[in-house]
Amino acid sequence: MLTTGFKLWFGLLIAAFTAAVFVGYTTGGTETGPLTLGWKGAVGNHIAYGILIMAATTSGLLAILSQSFRDADAEAAAEILEVDIDEVPEAQISTGSSPWPLFTALGVVTMAVGLVAHPFVFGTGLIISLVIAIEWTMTNWSERATGDPEKNRELKEGLLRPIEIPVLGLVGIGVIVVAVSRVLLAASVLGAVWIATVAGTIIFLTAYFISKRPSIPRGVVQSILAAGFIVVIVSGIFAAINGERDFHHVGGEHGEHGDSHMEEDH
Amino acid sequence: MKNESTVVERIVTTTESATLSRYWMVSALIGLLFSSVAGLLVSLERIDLSTASIFSTADDVFQFWTAHRVALVLIAVLPLMIGLATAIVPRQVGASRLVFPRMSAFSFWVWLFGALIIIIGFLANGGVGTPEATSETQSVALTLVGVLLAIIGICGASTSVLTTIVAGRAPGISLLNIPAFSWSVLVAGTMWLATLPVLVANTVLVYVDMRGRAPVNFGSEAVVWEQLSWAFTHPQVYLWVLPLLGIVAEIISAAFKNKISNPFLFTAIGLTAAAGFGAYAQTYFDIGTPVFEEAFSIIQAFIAIPAVLLVVAFISPKIKDLKGFDKQTTTPAVLATLSIVLLLHGVVVGAVHVIGPLELATRSTVSAQIVLTLGAGVLACMAAFSWWGELLIGKSISQRKILISGLTFHFGVGIFAVADFLVGFTGQNDFTGVSEFAAGTDGSSWVETLNVISFIGSLLILLGVIAAIATTVQHVLSKTPATGNPWGVDAPEWKSKEKEEVA
Repeated sequence: MLTTGFKLWFGLLIAAFTAAVFVGYTTGGTETGPLTLGWKGAVGNHIAYGILIMAATTSGLLAILSQSFRDADAEAAAEILEVDIDEVPEAQISTGSSPWPLFTALGVVTMAVGLVAHPFVFGTGLIISLVIAIEWTMTNWSERATGDPEKNRELKEGLLRPIEIPVLGLVGIGVIVVAVSRVLLAASVLGAVWIATVAGTIIFLTAYFISKRPSIPRGVVQSILAAGFIVVIVSGIFAAINGERDFHHVGGEHGEHGDSHMEEDH
Repeated sequence: MKNESTVVERIVTTTESATLSRYWMVSALIGLLFSSVAGLLVSLERIDLSTASIFSTADDVFQFWTAHRVALVLIAVLPLMIGLATAIVPRQVGASRLVFPRMSAFSFWVWLFGALIIIIGFLANGGVGTPEATSETQSVALTLVGVLLAIIGICGASTSVLTTIVAGRAPGISLLNIPAFSWSVLVAGTMWLATLPVLVANTVLVYVDMRGRAPVNFGSEAVVWEQLSWAFTHPQVYLWVLPLLGIVAEIISAAFKNKISNPFLFTAIGLTAAAGFGAYAQTYFDIGTPVFEEAFSIIQAFIAIPAVLLVVAFISPKIKDLKGFDKQTTTPAVLATLSIVLLLHGVVVGAVHVIGPLELATRSTVSAQIVLTLGAGVLACMAAFSWWGELLIGKSISQRKILISGLTFHFGVGIFAVADFLVGFTGQNDFTGVSEFAAGTDGSSWVETLNVISFIGSLLILLGVIAAIATTVQHVLSKTPATGNPWGVDAPEWKSKEKEEVA
């Protein structure tokens, strides 16, 4: 029996090979060149032909793999589970909610915008995409690890949480420190003191409010944190665009009086 | 833990086809609103061609003129079709869900961000360039990136739907036995996947030339639109609305309780798709060879053949069977019939505009053909919402409100198209390839009168779209539950019940 995966990949193989032959004939290939992978004649545009043949080859290998391991084959599942074929679980397992599609889209979009805006933005998008590729791959692996979704979740968290939490913590703290420092450096000396005082008071009161109401819905807490994070980031971006306040070095040139760190703010 | 997700979490993490379908359709309606407003402003400017009414230069008009077309295809019509297919196709072929639900979710989000970037690009004096190159190069590049992202999203979603049809069918359902809508989506999606990558290649070509160095050939802002315009004009527009044939077939068959012959209909849909393939019709690469001109004209004439077949398929079995019409289905049947009428008018106008001696190939007639065809697609989606609305949103549907929205939109498209078709004979240019909006116009009172009529059509289109959005929002917020199978039809989509999403 041909498995669903085999049909899909084999179809792609045919499509890619046909496209390669078509490209070969329309870009200067000889009669037999595109059909014989260039063994008997020219294949036309080497780059386009090569890419399409690579796509066909990859699809073919995946088709063979899919068939060899009997992916989504109910009979194979019945043999492993030692049950009657009618009792085999559905070939298509239920796919639950996942944040990775949205985050992957954000990564891809950040990369795309970075192409236009700035290499730093592109790099950020690239890192986001790579991290999510790992996360998504691990999620897919864990969902098929055992038949128990709860156990699968524990398996994944056991592997990834020791890495995720410190890394996310560092990144989060780093972003907040950079954003807040931009705001404080953009404001006047007195303004920076006021901003720090008011922000600290708001954070303290919010934490006190939340701690006094343990029954408060998780969504409300998440929304408050998300809103606060967005306010800090946006403020940091605007502050960075406006630039730092003027600093006048005490005593003229740096190091003239042996104390280059003495500065006077205005 | 797994059932404690918040509303926001559920919104951003869903992979359920019904929910994704709603996302696609609601977003597409907003895109349609943007496109309609852009079209209305251009029509308003055109009323008096002698002076600048609301735009200061021809380049400004060009920005909105191209925004209208790009948004109509990439942000409105295609997403509407995909939204419908995402919800209905799995039910019709007996699949428990789309075979790649997470890829479908990814595709939606990428498309949504791409659509937003396109809109921002246009509003930031970018878009797809201007004839006098007064646009912002950075914003043009941003728009091109948005176009690429939107196409990636559309291709991903199409792949998921197509694979569901090919590999996710329930046992016993062969390809030739699937419902007409699923077949039309299969054919349309295949053709989208065959042509959209060509548009990607055009866009990348322009982008690389524009960004890599001083533009030398393709990337100059003055010629960007010429590289991309084939995807937003005749004959490619037929491909964007191809699923409307399936929608109409399903509704008309049920309304008259008289099933349309599958092989006949399927062949007609396939022929229409073949004739609608427009990736070859790229004016930028047209080196003036007679072969190109003749091939183009022959293919435009050829599209009349499947059109005639469709008329025979849809109408002839029904004329003798009018007594069998189910009056309960009036709204979807009327809207479906009007949409096929608009499409046939679009085909006729398309065939007329390539007749050499009439010299209509670059006139406003092109605009009439595009609006007729894409308008037919939107109207078919309204008919589909009327027909499958309870499946799509799980609430009871007010048919009267949908009918009012649809009729307003239909009359708007009709009035606009008639005026633009006629004004094309006076020499008024479509914008492609010209730098002056009124170039070639004879400036007679006829032109001004027809342009006023065209503006009224645009206004009605906008009102129809606003009414459709209001109706959709009202239904989504409604608390009246769905009644089950409101038409009492024996169709697979009404029988199947999608499995609950496992959180």
